[in-house]
Amino acid sequence: MIVVDKLCYTSKLRYVNPYEKFFFAVLTLIFVIVSRSTAMGAAVIAMNSWLTVKKGGIRAAEYGRLMMIPLAFLFLSTIAIVINFSSAPLDAFGFRVGETYITGSYEGIERAVRLTVTAMGAVSCLYFLSLNTTMTDILTVLSGLRCPALLSELMLLIYRYIFVLLDTAYYISVAQNARLGNVSLRARVKSFTSLVQTLFIRSIKRSAALYDAMESRCYDGRIRVLKENRPADRKDITAIVAVETILLVWTVVARIGIIG
Amino acid sequence: MTKRQRRTVIALAAFAAVFALGPAAGAMHIMEGYLTPTYCVVWGIVCIPFLAAGIFSVRKTLEKNRKTITLIAMAGAFIFVISSLKIPSVTGSCSHMTGTGLGAILFGPAAVSVLGIIVLLFQAVLLAHGGLTTLGANTFSMAIAGPFVSYGVYRLCGALKVNRKVSVFLAAALGDVFTYCVTSIQLAVAYPSEVGGVWASAVKFLGVFAPTQLPLAAIEGILTVLIVIGLESFAKPELKAVGFVKEGR
Repeated sequence: MIVVDKLCYTSKLRYVNPYEKFFFAVLTLIFVIVSRSTAMGAAVIAMNSWLTVKKGGIRAAEYGRLMMIPLAFLFLSTIAIVINFSSAPLDAFGFRVGETYITGSYEGIERAVRLTVTAMGAVSCLYFLSLNTTMTDILTVLSGLRCPALLSELMLLIYRYIFVLLDTAYYISVAQNARLGNVSLRARVKSFTSLVQTLFIRSIKRSAALYDAMESRCYDGRIRVLKENRPADRKDITAIVAVETILLVWTVVARIGIIG
Repeated sequence: MTKRQRRTVIALAAFAAVFALGPAAGAMHIMEGYLTPTYCVVWGIVCIPFLAAGIFSVRKTLEKNRKTITLIAMAGAFIFVISSLKIPSVTGSCSHMTGTGLGAILFGPAAVSVLGIIVLLFQAVLLAHGGLTTLGANTFSMAIAGPFVSYGVYRLCGALKVNRKVSVFLAAALGDVFTYCVTSIQLAVAYPSEVGGVWASAVKFLGVFAPTQLPLAAIEGILTVLIVIGLESFAKPELKAVGFVKEGR
């Protein structure tokens, strides 16, 4: 149902220590954004694709399809950045509409290309994390990083119940389709309304049942779960430190280059 | 083809692509890596007081009645799921509900701000809508600004004795519109236009997202009315459980 969640359980990197993956993904992400270097963005995309597809064993076609998801946003926003409305045309291109020009500059185009490549690099970092780490592992890392207990417990429960509710929603919509619930716009609106209403009522009812279940298993205000212990691999850590050091130096050089 | 013709074809193709891709954009999450580090941090800091207030309010509710923990969690899962449902539209394209308005009306803005950041984190990791570095900016526009406007409008209309249907519609639709404006301004501040600065840029961002966001706000407003009015007639106990009926009238 949620593709990413299914894929991360099949990843070959699933049992690697989650802290390693988390810090690798987040540090790389930060360097890409701070440096805003097109070359680094491209290098990071290549590295993360290699790690996810070759090392993680996610199918390349699937990975490509997932990388397309943010394109709609990217496309629209980049148009807004490149295009200018002005009374005089800029250097790259210009169309005259009445009194004003729809126009853009080479600098703006260069900025947009840089932004696109680095943003996709950042997305590949996010995918490296989410396609190779299960959500429960990410939650373990977050609570290890002193995320407030209330938040991490809520996350645990919400994560569990997203799938229950998605299941419910799925069955309801199948039933509605089978009964011509989507035959016309009017029917679609009616079906959608009753779907959300039923979902709301079911979720409130379930929450009461869930509490009873938790209380009968000695819930006292804290949810305690066993943590799986996966020792970090020395070779992995060396590799991560090496890569991040290179990226750090690269970032410093790129920043000085931009300023100077 | 001459150069000019080629340019025209490219421009037309781009224009068509906007409308092909546009509806899929659905909710306006700023994608991963799109903001500069400064703005990632700034929007994160702006969210902290709201988030802290939300956590304290949730904690207070929990101290009064521990049983509400599952209710709050379920509300979070509910918001996530409705935000992933395809809403019916005339063209058959796939827009998604944002759920901000409905969430704020049913559960109150304080709870939604806490649940919002969790839902946005899950959306980023599981659906690649939004991202880790843009979590602060997205939380501010979708989990704080939108819900607070929705709830404010809803309570204001309640105080002014406006027709219930109208007030629910306005709450949901204006919440969406406000989220869309805030996101556009966030993008504009980060990427001011070369000609005309931040405001010109804001107008451009508002313009590009308008074709998807304004119809969405209207549709979502209507759907929220149908949902809330229906629930009031047959889900009294459940609404009482989330504290809606007591506060409503």
